[in-house]
Amino acid sequence: MEINQETVSHLATLSDLALEEDEAQKFEGDIEEIIKYISQLDELDTADVEPTYQVTGLENVWRVDEIRPQEVSSEELLVLTKDTEKQQIKVPRVL
Amino acid sequence: MKYLPTIGIECHVQLATKTKLFSEVDNDARLKDPNSCVSPIDYGLPGMLPRLNGAAILYVIRAGLALNAQINLFSRFDRKHYYYPDLPKGYQITQLFQPLIGSGYVELPSHKRIRIEHAHLEEDAGKLSHADGYSLVDLNRAGTPLVEIVSEADMHSAAEAREYAKELWRLMTYAGVTYGDLYNGNMRFDVNISIAPEDSDKLGTRTEIKNLNSFRAVERVVEYEVKRQTKLLEKGQKVKQETRGWNDAVGETTAQRSKETAQDYRYMPDPDLPPIRLEAKTIDEQRKQMPKMPADYRTWLDGVLPNDIIEILLDYQGLMEKLSEVSVILLEQQNMLEKINATLKKLANLFSSVLLAEENTSLLNDALPSARQLIDLAEMNDRKELSSTAMKQVFLKFFDPEMRYKESLTIAKELGVMQDNDVESLAQIVDEVLAKPETQKAQADYLAGQEKVLGFLVGQVMKASHGKANPATVGEILRQKLST
Repeated sequence: MEINQETVSHLATLSDLALEEDEAQKFEGDIEEIIKYISQLDELDTADVEPTYQVTGLENVWRVDEIRPQEVSSEELLVLTKDTEKQQIKVPRVL
Repeated sequence: MKYLPTIGIECHVQLATKTKLFSEVDNDARLKDPNSCVSPIDYGLPGMLPRLNGAAILYVIRAGLALNAQINLFSRFDRKHYYYPDLPKGYQITQLFQPLIGSGYVELPSHKRIRIEHAHLEEDAGKLSHADGYSLVDLNRAGTPLVEIVSEADMHSAAEAREYAKELWRLMTYAGVTYGDLYNGNMRFDVNISIAPEDSDKLGTRTEIKNLNSFRAVERVVEYEVKRQTKLLEKGQKVKQETRGWNDAVGETTAQRSKETAQDYRYMPDPDLPPIRLEAKTIDEQRKQMPKMPADYRTWLDGVLPNDIIEILLDYQGLMEKLSEVSVILLEQQNMLEKINATLKKLANLFSSVLLAEENTSLLNDALPSARQLIDLAEMNDRKELSSTAMKQVFLKFFDPEMRYKESLTIAKELGVMQDNDVESLAQIVDEVLAKPETQKAQADYLAGQEKVLGFLVGQVMKASHGKANPATVGEILRQKLST
């Protein structure tokens, strides 16, 4: 798979990252290296192998539908955010 | 050129669970302060593990049964990645590859079937509101369980799209999957629309209009988009594949962000959530608990009530259950089918006249009268103890907090609307009226052959009886007395 500046800038958009030009250059090489490393797996014949979705072997893990008091209060959670207004999390304008 | 629209609808339905899909937090955020129904899981804090709500699975099974759909015994969760402030984790937990519900169908009142492609369980995102220069995030809705129902593109008109949306609402509320509060966004519709020349076997480019929360909006969006796309094609331009938003006040759609392709979402299995393997008996248990659905009621009432009345009444599940209860009681009392149907028709007319004429539909969401009250009322009318007008007066009192628990007979007596059918007592009033000087001329006219004067005389007797006499009986008595 070929990684070029277009791929890097597309990935940056999807991740909402602002990259400087030299960073983008550096990542082009880095990502290419990573892909090449992972691509070694393509040498294996996996035609008859089930994809691995889980490694625990667990199934049917669920809880009852009951409201429980939370150990962390909503105030304590809101404090973790950078900026708030009227009990809401304030973020740069989207849309 | 004539163009044929092709429409598919995705609908997000909020499940009526007590808690969210992955956290033990209140799922009902109505009238609650922003960011008050939250936990570290909803904030997507590092290291938090989702804990699946078992009830949500049962609700989705019920949705599947309502959709006449295949319930998949094996299903699992995937992550759908996108970066937006209403989604703190940076991914939504959903089901892409192995959803809980497979293909099914929704039968419209017209009996046309709209196929369901699949339905899956997923979590909702938070709510954004936009101010000048910034946006605000409320995470109360983040993690609310949704079932997303995806239809095939089987609809071809605005009316059909509306019918489908409405039927879906009925199916989901009847089955108890959701509260179905459209105003509060309990069901949200995304409509995909394309148009193509009528004789073409290829579909046009589609646009997707997201987040509609009323049946009317679904209908208007289709009307608007068909016009807009037709205009573009007629000018030789192309329809752009895009997501558009709907402005209900202005009545038009406008382009929104360009849509990510499926690849951009970087779907991957969610390793935090073990898969679901259902036993057939779990599904059977839910099937046994399913109530009568709209299609059952349509079959039952076909030929008993006019279709338009059936469709109006079907919006009120409690009302349909009440009518069934009445019918069961009448059947147990060995009534003939004809009599039962006549009673149902009488009651249906009362309910629909309240709904239509009184514009007081909220009455039917409150406590309904008991089956006994309804049967007594209809029978009093059958025995001519209550005129049709009086029957409606008593009926309305069933919704009066002061009167609602009283027997129909008590209410009728308190209102003083019982009709007097007692021939002897009526004959006495007739005699009194005939003795009055002011009726002498009318009597003479009648005897001279002016039949219609009888109406005046009946009116006089009605007045003397304070409106309680049965006019038909009075007419009979008058005729007899005057002809002898």
